[in-house]
Amino acid sequence: MDRNGGFWSELGPLTRAVGRTMGMTLRNFLRRPVTIQYPDVQRAYPDRFRGVLALTYDKETGAENCIGCRLCEYICPPQVIKVEMLKAPGRNYAKTFTLELYACEFCELCVQVCPTDAIIMMKSLDLATADRRELLLDKDRLHTIGLQFEPSWATGTRLRDMQAPPKAPREAKAAAKGEESAEGKAE
Amino acid sequence: MSVPPVALQALGAFILLNAVILMVTYVTLLERKFAARMQSRIGPYYVGRPHGWLQPIADALKLMMKEDIVPTASDRWVYNLAPIVFLIPCVLIFATIPFAPGLGLADLNIGILFFLAVSALEIVGLFMGGWGSNNKYALLSAMRGVNQIISYDLPFLFAALVPVVLTGSLQMSAIVAAQQGLWFVAYPVLGQLAFVGYVIATIAAENRVPFDILEAESELVAGFRVEYSGMKFALIQLGEYAHVLGTSFLGALLFLGGWLGPGPAWLGPLWFLLKAVLIFLLVTWVRWSFVRIRVDQILGISWKLLLPATVLLLLVTGLVVAAGGGGGP
Amino acid sequence: MDVEARKIVEIGYGGNERLIMNMGPQHPSAHGVFRAILVLEGETVVAVDAVIGYLHRCHEKLAETLTYVQYPSIASKTDYVSAMTSELAYVSVVEKVGKIEVPKRAQYLRVLAAELQRVASHCLWLGTWCLDMGGALGGGATVFLYCMRERETILDLFESLTGARLLYGFHQPGGTRYDVPAGWADRCRETIAVIEGRVEEYEAMLDDNAFFLVRTQGVGVITPELAQEIGLSGPLIRGSGIAYDVRRAEPYSSYEDFDFKVPVETAADCYARYRVRMQEFRESIKIVRQVLDGLPPGPISSRPGVKSVGQVRVPKGEGYARVEGARGEVGCYLVADGGAKPYRLKWRGASFSNLSVLPHIIPGHKVADVVAIMGSVDPVFGEVDR
Repeated sequence: MDRNGGFWSELGPLTRAVGRTMGMTLRNFLRRPVTIQYPDVQRAYPDRFRGVLALTYDKETGAENCIGCRLCEYICPPQVIKVEMLKAPGRNYAKTFTLELYACEFCELCVQVCPTDAIIMMKSLDLATADRRELLLDKDRLHTIGLQFEPSWATGTRLRDMQAPPKAPREAKAAAKGEESAEGKAE
Repeated sequence: MSVPPVALQALGAFILLNAVILMVTYVTLLERKFAARMQSRIGPYYVGRPHGWLQPIADALKLMMKEDIVPTASDRWVYNLAPIVFLIPCVLIFATIPFAPGLGLADLNIGILFFLAVSALEIVGLFMGGWGSNNKYALLSAMRGVNQIISYDLPFLFAALVPVVLTGSLQMSAIVAAQQGLWFVAYPVLGQLAFVGYVIATIAAENRVPFDILEAESELVAGFRVEYSGMKFALIQLGEYAHVLGTSFLGALLFLGGWLGPGPAWLGPLWFLLKAVLIFLLVTWVRWSFVRIRVDQILGISWKLLLPATVLLLLVTGLVVAAGGGGGP
Repeated sequence: MDVEARKIVEIGYGGNERLIMNMGPQHPSAHGVFRAILVLEGETVVAVDAVIGYLHRCHEKLAETLTYVQYPSIASKTDYVSAMTSELAYVSVVEKVGKIEVPKRAQYLRVLAAELQRVASHCLWLGTWCLDMGGALGGGATVFLYCMRERETILDLFESLTGARLLYGFHQPGGTRYDVPAGWADRCRETIAVIEGRVEEYEAMLDDNAFFLVRTQGVGVITPELAQEIGLSGPLIRGSGIAYDVRRAEPYSSYEDFDFKVPVETAADCYARYRVRMQEFRESIKIVRQVLDGLPPGPISSRPGVKSVGQVRVPKGEGYARVEGARGEVGCYLVADGGAKPYRLKWRGASFSNLSVLPHIIPGHKVADVVAIMGSVDPVFGEVDR
């Protein structure tokens, strides 16, 4: 811009460039704003949204799904889950289950390893508090959250099935003994 | 009943001052909404739904309630007086603008000269602010600001003088009257070039992007205003926006025909306001479209480009007018 | 930096007095926590001393305490702006040393994620660079908001794919963790079509913009020799005329199946690097389209789904794997000892090497140019400090 001699020859392109830039801004002026007025308007969360964690009950029997196996505790990278197992005849339970949500990474690994689909994530992150202690979720709180929000698509079984091809189910195995080994290998 | 004319004028001044302050606060809302729409967002919304009508009031109240922090090592008198010294010229310029034929507080017959001279006085307030803050970076920014405003006041003056030459008078109402037939912005070539020069000089003389090196990000977060808070900051902001609006009004008067417009005469002030807002929006549009340039480049544009161009323009205008039979006295 | 400059602390305005100014760990032209000690003579920078380490989070030690199955989610936190490529570097080295195969579909999905991530990362780069140069209240903010608007659409795509917007945990040794849901491919195509149009808008706004050109042309020239000596990579070295791209030099994850150009510019200033990245937008979009067209069916991992924490064991060995991240060559060097955790993991952060060029190119420029140069180098301090 501080070129003396060549200025007048550059005036044309300069004006065009300025006009183009301002034209772009004007064009955006005429577009609809992309703002979503939260919390008046809620965004639609996708199916796989990794929100707050929760423990679930069995749909048919109403019993707790968690068997206290501690696989989630071992796999959690920041080690926010602490479980104590309660042995009982038939199946085990979790005596205590604490999850420190303020340190959770939301990586979904605990959901992935759970053999009984007990721990899942919800389609919501609406758990903002003013006191961090409220985010130290104990077992009752986790179960409440499980009933409060909408669950995400992802459960342990589904994630594991997605990540590796599932083996053929037992009935098909028993019925089609001959072909199923070839089927499994071809995957 | 004989009311001393001084009392009437004082009343008029009081009304005008309040009107100006109201206009200025709402023009900030306009800028925020306009800028927001250009950026695909909404801007102030909640305070006074749905368009944020009460936002400027809320901002003013907030600034009034803020703690007034005065740096202990600052130069007391200079620091405290600076916002007022900055504000007064910026608001005083409105006194000379006639909003309709006869409806002006002081329609001086050297109106333009007074306007330009007084509006340049804000430099004093600016520098007082930077100096009194006892802050290295505020001082740096104030020095750059003084440098820039002085450099750009000259092209501003020359561009504003083109309509004066075309009219032959410095009186603002006379300039508007001379645009009855053709607005000066529509005057072939000279009018458009003068208008463009005026707008560019305005943007620079008011430290607006792309010429706002005064408040560049990484060193001078708020420029000379950095040490001000609360009401003093509000006064400085008020002064800045009043100055922008004032020069927009002047531009509307000089180039866009002032209060002339279709319809009955009482619509005149409305047209005037509309045209001034239009120029203000143009300045805002430029502000929100461009990145800023360095200080040496800014000064280069002024001295090597804009000043010779506007001087040349003025000379040519003078020649044209003289050749065409001369303007008024 | 010479010792003499360190000792002088006088503040003067006329003449050769030098001023030492801190562009401190917190400064408005963000980019992260970085301290540049500038020595100024008037307005010109005479020397730069870069201080890093404010974001050190012990990634390499953390990798020794976490297993191969747990660490990929953490790996995304090194270059958090371009998380997919960071994870890819880690799982690539695990697969290389552990001789784990990756099925074709997983490789294509990885390419898809990496290229979409590159587009998103460059959106962030452009936005923050213009924000630094243009100011938070001005044209810079406008470009920033436009770029964020586009980046949000890509993050929406990633959210439908993995469930997270910024740090994904998408990769696992052996493949990927998530597959493409129904309808995602069409949405992806729509999104990148929109972004292609918007990239043209950005170019229209900035390419010929006189203000932008005076701020970026001739500023921060990195000669090719300097680039090779310091070990730059990514758009920095491609802006200096050297056509080096890891995707071409050592193709990984089926990149050899795709047809794309590697943009190179020779001017070596900020403007050249800008042009390189703008062309990379387009090339990445081209690759995404090719991937979507040719996505093969099949499993997304060669290993069973993660079921236990010690599932992946890598036999003794060492190796280095690198990927072309948005900022340059991101690499991981792994020393494995046969267990479920690495013995040693070393990250080669692209921004770490890229930042070393600053003391060579900044002196001689004005203070305002420092911001422009920092933006065109595009550091992310997660990678620098790990």
